Amino acid sequence: MALGDYWKQLSWFYYQYLLVTALYMLEPWERTVFNSLLISVAGMAVYTGYVFMPQHIMAILHYFEVVQ
Amino acid sequence: MARTAANGSLKTHLNQNGLKLEDVNKTHKREKNGPGTGVASRQYKQESFEQAPMYVAVMTYLGYGIVTLFGYLRDFLRAVELERCHVAQEKEEQKDFVPLYQDFENFYTRNLYMRVRDNWNRPICSLPGPVFDLMERVSDDYNWTFRLTGRTIHNVINTGSYNYLGFAENSADFLKTVADVTCQYGVGVCSTRQEIGNLGIHEELDKLVANFLGVESSMTFGMGFATNSMNIPALVGKGCLILSDELNHTSLILGARLSGATIRVFKHNNMLSLEKMLREAVCSGQPRTHRPWRKILIMVEGIYSMEGSVVRLSEIIALKKKYKAYLYLDEAHSIGAVGPSGRGVTELFDVDPADVDVMMGTFTKSFGAAGGYIAGKKELVDYLRSHSHSAAYGTAMSPPVTQQIIRAMKCIMGNDGTTEGIRRVRQLAENIRYFRARLKEMGYIIYGSDDSPVVPVLLYMPGKVAAFAREMLERKVGVVVVGFPATPIAEARARFCLSASHTREMLNQVLHHLNEVGDNLCLKISQQKYSSQPDLYNEANFEPDS
Repeated sequence: MALGDYWKQLSWFYYQYLLVTALYMLEPWERTVFNSLLISVAGMAVYTGYVFMPQHIMAILHYFEVVQ
Repeated sequence: MARTAANGSLKTHLNQNGLKLEDVNKTHKREKNGPGTGVASRQYKQESFEQAPMYVAVMTYLGYGIVTLFGYLRDFLRAVELERCHVAQEKEEQKDFVPLYQDFENFYTRNLYMRVRDNWNRPICSLPGPVFDLMERVSDDYNWTFRLTGRTIHNVINTGSYNYLGFAENSADFLKTVADVTCQYGVGVCSTRQEIGNLGIHEELDKLVANFLGVESSMTFGMGFATNSMNIPALVGKGCLILSDELNHTSLILGARLSGATIRVFKHNNMLSLEKMLREAVCSGQPRTHRPWRKILIMVEGIYSMEGSVVRLSEIIALKKKYKAYLYLDEAHSIGAVGPSGRGVTELFDVDPADVDVMMGTFTKSFGAAGGYIAGKKELVDYLRSHSHSAAYGTAMSPPVTQQIIRAMKCIMGNDGTTEGIRRVRQLAENIRYFRARLKEMGYIIYGSDDSPVVPVLLYMPGKVAAFAREMLERKVGVVVVGFPATPIAEARARFCLSASHTREMLNQVLHHLNEVGDNLCLKISQQKYSSQPDLYNEANFEPDS
């Protein structure tokens, strides 16, 4: 079943993420703290990009005189 | 299936390996005819210390950084009493004094080691032979305390014991002489060698060890660590210079420090560094007075147990003769395990044992017993018999242990009338070759020379160290993983010790599980392509006129 395969692959990636960042050694609540910090920082970055990217792109195009 | 294909290609590889064994014997025969060629052909053998790719180093430091940050957080929680502190703490009255537990070592133990310490000190409840039984234990509070569940895990393959020739066995017919000696002498000696503990069996062992190594005389001690740490102070003192290798064992370092001599460290197996230090020592002499050094002693080991690298004995002997220094060779891991008939690195490099001034070794590894020896010229050993701290104050070796060493040594030399000893030595050499070749083919980073029975597989990241040990135990393979204080912080590794009592099926099982675990954990990061053809330097030696 394709969904089961995807789930296996995803959990393998999560396992690699735990090993590389050494979260594998930490207790569950510490993992929760770290993951929420990471997701909130990443979420803030994505939101900022979403809000400000059109303005930045317009400024770049204006600089290169592609658009007035 | 992939496995049979791998085995198929392996068969040809093994034939080449079989050929390789004979090739080595051929080169050895030619070495005996020409003293120069033997030295040169050994020197071309490169030891690999492959560096990991950059992203691995970055991820290792990232992992350590995150765990250190969480360590600070937990220390803070313990300090404000939000969390119970399980380790020793200073009392209220002591808080104004110099802090006791704030250095890096204690921080590391509290916050990194404790989290994963279920991988060490595992309780074993059987003989540590090629397989053993483990007692299962679990922890309810993240490794601060353990409890045994009562279940035993049977037949875990043992890749961690220093059982190189398989003498850790308990079959009754092999141990008959040991039982007889126990009935005759008892178990405790209750005295030192200098007082009333010098039994006839100790003299027999001394003569046998000297015969085995090909030297004039030898002396044995009850403890291997104490052999180094208590005898080096008897040999050198103030006004002498010790040149010791970077990666020497703690017993050598302790003995050197206790002696009071000046210690200078040269880079691991680096002959240029050693020669530079020797030149500088001979030219400038002692630090302030510029008098010549009373003695210069070079301390090296036969096989370094954390890297699996072999000492460059012939080059060191050439240097020692040129600069008139003395050589102290610690063959703890190499005696019995290397060399065509198990005589150690002197046989591996085809060097006259009389060239090494002090040969030291232990009986713990290849002989399945305990204790150590020092061998060399008769004057040296006679001096040590009266001046060594270990001889004067250390209890003599226990008789059953002595007899075990005697029977193991006779077995290796072939004096008991069977070919069991030489079979074990050859089996170990074959196991080493096979295992190392298969690991390199799989793509692991392995350190050390191709002759050493110690195979360190590099893991690098702290998370992977714990995961590797746990996953291998689930698959019933017992491995020893080593981390920070024993190795550099970014080079954590798993250390495999091969044994002559491992059968080919056991090795194949271990390799199969290693393959699986390596794929699960992404450990196969070697960038060197391993070819299963014989190396070029072997073919170069087949010129008819050399």
